[in-house]
Parts: sequence; structure tokens; C-alpha cells
Amino acid sequence: MDMNEIKEIFFQECEEQLAELESGLLKLNDGDRDPETVNAVFRAVHSIKGGAGAFGLDDLVSFAHVFETTLDCVRSNRLEPTPDVLKVMLKSADVLADLVTASRDGGSVDAARSRGLVKELEALANGELPAPSVHTEAAAAKPAEAAPQPTDESGFQPIPFSFDGFDEEDEVTLEGSAYEIVFKPRRELYSKGNEAALLLRDLSRLGEMSIHCDTDALPALDQMDPEEAYFAWKISLKTTRGEEDIRTVFEFAEWDCDLEVKLAEPARPDEEQPMVPVPFDLSILDETPTSEEESEEPSASGIVAATLAAAETATNVTRLASVAARVAERQEASAAAAAPAIAAQNTAAASSAGQTIRVDLDRVDRLINLVGELVINQAMLSQSVIENDATGTSSINMGLEELQQLTREIQDSVMAIRAQPVKPVFQRMSRIVREVADMVGKSIRLVTEGENTEVDKTVIDKLAEPLTHMIRNAVDHGIETPEKREAAGKSPEGTIKLTAKHRSGRILIELQDDGAGINRERVRQKAIDNDLIAADANLTDDEIDNLIFMPGFSTADKISDISGRGVGMDVVKRSIQALGGRISISSRPGHGSTFTMSLPLTLAVLDGMVVTVAGQTLVVPLTAIVETLQPEASAIHSFGANHRLISIRNSFCPLVDVGRILNFRAIQANPVEGVALLVESEGGGQRALMVDAIQGQRQVVIKSLEANYTHVPGIAAATILGDGRVALILDVDAVVAASRGQALKPELALKPEMPLAAAG
Amino acid sequence: MASNKPAPGSLKLSPILDLNEASVLHGKLMSMRGSDVVIDASDVERAGVQCAQVLVAAARAWAADGKSFLVESASDAFDKTARLIGIDAKQLVAKEI
Repeated sequence: MDMNEIKEIFFQECEEQLAELESGLLKLNDGDRDPETVNAVFRAVHSIKGGAGAFGLDDLVSFAHVFETTLDCVRSNRLEPTPDVLKVMLKSADVLADLVTASRDGGSVDAARSRGLVKELEALANGELPAPSVHTEAAAAKPAEAAPQPTDESGFQPIPFSFDGFDEEDEVTLEGSAYEIVFKPRRELYSKGNEAALLLRDLSRLGEMSIHCDTDALPALDQMDPEEAYFAWKISLKTTRGEEDIRTVFEFAEWDCDLEVKLAEPARPDEEQPMVPVPFDLSILDETPTSEEESEEPSASGIVAATLAAAETATNVTRLASVAARVAERQEASAAAAAPAIAAQNTAAASSAGQTIRVDLDRVDRLINLVGELVINQAMLSQSVIENDATGTSSINMGLEELQQLTREIQDSVMAIRAQPVKPVFQRMSRIVREVADMVGKSIRLVTEGENTEVDKTVIDKLAEPLTHMIRNAVDHGIETPEKREAAGKSPEGTIKLTAKHRSGRILIELQDDGAGINRERVRQKAIDNDLIAADANLTDDEIDNLIFMPGFSTADKISDISGRGVGMDVVKRSIQALGGRISISSRPGHGSTFTMSLPLTLAVLDGMVVTVAGQTLVVPLTAIVETLQPEASAIHSFGANHRLISIRNSFCPLVDVGRILNFRAIQANPVEGVALLVESEGGGQRALMVDAIQGQRQVVIKSLEANYTHVPGIAAATILGDGRVALILDVDAVVAASRGQALKPELALKPEMPLAAAG
Repeated sequence: MASNKPAPGSLKLSPILDLNEASVLHGKLMSMRGSDVVIDASDVERAGVQCAQVLVAAARAWAADGKSFLVESASDAFDKTARLIGIDAKQLVAKEI
């Protein structure tokens, strides 16, 4: 494996670590005080730092280092994770993510921003809380007895360990202080290519060191395992450096050993174990007789160890159960320091085998494509057998049925490989909310639900962009300023809720804000001004709300200042539609708006109804169809020059001739001779689509029309039927929109991208 | 009996005493049990903790057997590593009783 591959893996791990980091911080933000959460956060940063060090990514290392130092304060209860502290931490996580991206793809990051954060983090690590709080005062007044006080309604009590130790450390570091270090390597430390002697050598360079080697654990020669770790050391070190520097020596080995670093107690009367002073000039032990100031410089084994460590942590985090078991096991050993506990978790997780594999996406896609072909082929085979076997009882026929089930199962399983939780996308949104809210000076909380809902990876990838856009809009325009909110009697903090759930074979994503809602008067006026609707058009509230998705609204910047939305929502809608999805909005003035996106779980297959229109075979997505009915002459009513309505259970519904909309025929067909498909469009309105006949219902494999031919208005995609013919898949929303365009403004297309409507 | 005092066996340590060498060294020493032994550490350039563990365990074993175990002409690197990791020269020696 060459260096670039290792680096690529490192960046992949980084992404996982960053996700872990962010979700951990958000959990802390929600009041989670589980030490394991803090540890997970710490580990994530530590792993990134370790790996980055191995690859010489200095910017990343130095930032991660400061971040880690501050997190360590949280871990050791010296710093309480208040919302203010976490705000800094979340920002730091964002910068860390930027740095990772910059390291991978080149480019630069906002240096001023990261410098500012480094200062803030250092201030936190030094015990300066971002906002005045009970603790700073207490600590300043009486550092030794910083009394624990419940700081928030959660009733969390900080552990009264912190401040004195911390202050003391700060003071004495200046004049040089004595540390007591207990270092007990584990077998893994050696097996990963680390060498305790080298660590001790580096340690000795920090200052004056005396050492005692504890050989008690060494068994008899014939019983020993030469590769096991038996020796442990007790070291006293007089140094001008801080504890952090000491820990840095053990950086790559920290999880493979028990390490305790503490300030030596001033008076130690009974020093039973003899301490051997260590010879100071150890240059002969250097592997490479070059400069020795860079003790952190990663050796080849260091790189491997770091990569290993990073890989382990990544696989770790998910397996908390085994970790917990291991921790419980260790409890009797009174794991006082946090470092050994982490080390324990690491080994525990490292010992259990990996449960996931990384597979190149291309391979999965090829498999999916092949299975798609298999499904088509199987359908063709079935069809030809049925044509030649009228009774349907031959053994071939039976076998084929089994084959059909099998192919269907294979297809489902293959699709499941691509299914991924929406969590990563949702997590990215929380960053956007933070940043945009900061920019516009609003206070907004993002609540996510159903993060583990799974959906095809393509859908996830393509979801990020429209979702980002909508979140920005919601923060910028949807939620009011704190002052306005208070004036309206709402909490000054706005809430945006992002939900994902499965519903009838599709994924439903809802974006809800508790802002002011849509100012319909302004939207309507704007639409009229922009020539999007006739001045006298009579629109329902829903239809007005949906006007914001129309192209032409994107340039309307004025309206966004006043009431709300309209910035590029047509782009959002197009992206969602390109995914085979629908988007709709509902808004309650004063209470906020809800965007609902309904997306297919996969872009590869679709349950459809095969219909005939003017001699052509079309597929209508089953999810769009509410019901099918055979119109009777008495139910058909003419309306205007060339519009007809159908009366269904005492309500009227516009009748849309699909053949006419798609220009398959020049004149409208007689409704009584065809079948009406009642469909629901994304605006909530129902339309009856007229087709000539229904052939049946089946699952079809979607073949992109854009990729193989070009985009055809009104057509979503194509498929190959069992008899080998190509059938077009109807874009129901586009057809409905086209028909609505006629109704709204007959001589001008509602949607410029729908020239067919204009022709109607 | 002549076997009471056999000629001391000798073992020259490899220059690199790392993780891989630990098992080798362990095996060599195990095969030399029962007779006095002199360890020649003059070539050692790098010594790891795990080899040191084997040597300390061997010294104890030889002491228990009542045989002598000596480390001779230790190289500077061997000597300093031993002191660095806190192993006393005495721990690497078993005197004939």
C-alpha cells in the first residue's frame, strides 16, 4: 500500500471522526454528560491529530492539538461544557473540518478565523470561561474550594477537582516542576512497532529523569512470552515543560499503554523504590544520527502506528457495548486517570473484528446495473414462456416464478447495500444553521429527527444541496430576528426542525421552521409583477405558497427582505424533481412554514402502472396514483373552451388528457372510452389523468433518459419492458403543472421549461 | 564430576535487539539452560525492552539454577539502554553459587 493510499484512508477516517466529533458535541450541547461522549469527542480529535502528524499536515496538527488540549480539560472535569464553551467547540469542529478538506483538496482556510478560535480555545484551556459564571468567581476567590453548584436546569454538578490543580500546574510549570509518571506498556505497543525504550529516551530529553523499572511482573524464563510486555516504569521527571509535552511523547502509544502523569507531591517521605538517574547523553541510541530536537517526528513505524490507531478508533466508536464491558471489567483497578480508561476502550474495540468493509462505489453500481439487467431479462423470459405456455402449469413456468422471487430478493438486497442513513447530511445542516444564524445575528436551534432513516446513496448525495439551500432560506428569511420574535410573543430562539421518515416506500423529509410564515399578499403581488400569473388569477392559499417554487422568484430579492422566501426555490424544486421527488410547502402566517419533500428510496427501480396512451406504452409511478376509475359520460362536464372536469363523489376534478399534453394526438380523446387515473400533485391538488387503457402493474428498472438521450419534458425516465420495448415513465407532476399552466394562463406557459404546455 | 563445571557457553547478541529478536533470543537461551553462560553484548547497536525482559528473566533463571550468567563487554548502546530503562547491571548477572 503506498503512501497516497494510506493518506486517502486517513482522510476517509477523518470524515468519520469529524462526524463523530460533531454528533458528540451536539449531544453534549443537549445536556449529555456521559463521560463516554466526551471521550468519543476527544478520541476523534486525537485520531485526526495523530494521523495528520504522520502525514506532516502541520496546520491540522497544530489546530487539533489546541482543540484536544481544551477537550482534555473537559474530559478531566477541569472545564465544564457549558453552552458557551460548546459554541466555541462546535465552531472549532467546523474549522477542523475545513482544515481537513483543505489538506485533502488543497486550498486554504480562513486563517483569521482559526487563529481567533485557537485563542478562544487556549483561553478555555486556561480556565477563562467565555462568559462570566459562578465558577470563575468562585475559583478566583477561593481556588481550593470551588464549590460545585448546579449551573443549569439539568442539575448537573461539576466535580470539584479542577481549579486548584490547574492553577498550580500553571504556576509551577514556569519554574520547572517534578512530575511523576507511571508508564506501563501493553503488548500492542510493541507489536505495533513502538519501542518503550525510545519513548523513555524521548522522555528523558524533557528534563532530568530518574527511573525505576518494575520487573515484578516478569515470569520465569520458561514461562514467559518473549513478545509480551512485562516491564512497567515509574519515572520522576524534573522539567520546565508542561504535562501536555510529556503526554506528547506518548502520543502514538497512548492507547497501547497505561499512562499516568501527575505532579509529584512535594514531600514524599517513604520513597521505597530506588530511582536510578538516567544518563543524559543518549545520542548513541538515536536510530538516525541527525537532529534530535524533533522528538515528535514520525518514524516509519510511527506512521503505521498512527494509521492503525486512526483506523481502530474509527471502527471503535460504534461498538460501545464491548467498550462498556471492558470498562466495567477495569473498574476495580480504580481507573483514576482518564488516559488508561481510553486505552482500555481502544484495545477492547480493536480486538473485536471489523464489521464493515469499504467497497468502491463503482463496484456496487456495476452490480446494481447488472441486477437491473437481470430483472429485465427475467421479465422477458417470463413473458416469452407465458406466450408459449397457455396453461401456466408447466415446470418451466413454476421454475420461472421462483426465479422471479429470487431476482426480486437479489434486487432488494443489492439496493440495501447502497442504502445509507441520512445522518451525515443532517449533520452538515447543523453547521449551516450555526454559521448562517451567526451571520445574520439570530439564535436558532436545529432539531433533527429520524437521522438513521436509510435511503439510496445517490439520493443522499444529491439531497445535500437543495437542503442546504432551504436551510439557508429558513434561517435567513423564515425565522424572524430575536426582537421581532419577542414582539410576536415567541421565544427569541427560533427552532428549525428537520425530520426524515419512511412512508409508503418513499422517504419523507420535512423542514419546519417556527418563523413568520409566508406573506401571501406579497408573494402574490410579486408573481403578478413578474408576469407569472394573471392579475385576476384566483389562487388558493396553497397555490400562492407554491408560487415561490417558480422560476422568476429567484431574482426577487426584495421580498426575501420582508416576508420570507423565494431565493432560488425553483432550483431546489428542480433538484428534488430530478431525484424523482416532490416538494411542497405549507405555511401558517405567524407560525412558520413546513417544506415537505417526498423522495424515492432508490433511483434504480420503481413500481409503476403500465398504461397505453395513443398507441404508446407509458409507465405511471404507482406512488402518484390515488385511484383509477372508469369515467361515465354523466360525470364529465365541459368547462370553458377546451377544459373538462370530472365529477368524483360530488367534487370536481380537472380532467387532463395525457396524450394531448404530451402531443401524442392533436385532439382530446373521448374520456368515456378511456380510464382516468386520479393523481395527487405536490401542491395537494388532484387531477384526473386520462389514458386509453391500463395494461398492468409491475416493477420497472429505471433507465435515465437524460444520460442516454436528452431530457424530454413531461417524461421522467424510460424503462425496458418484458417484451423488450422501451416505455417512457411519466413525470406526473410535470404533466399536472402543464395542465395547471393552461388553466392559469392559457396563452403563456406557467413554466418556461415546459414548452409542451404552451403548445396546448 | 566434570559435568559439575562445564565450560561456559557463550552467546553473542545480535546488533539489533528488537521485537523479532526477542523470541530468537529466548529460544537460544532456553537451549543453553543448565550451564554457565557468558553473554557478549559488544555488537549491540539497538536494544529493545522485550529483549531486556528476556535477559533479565534469563539471569533470574540462571541464578535459580545456580549457574553463572554474565554479560560481558557491553556496548555503549546496550549499557545506556539498560540504564535508560532502569535495569541495573546486577539484574543481568547471575553469580555462580
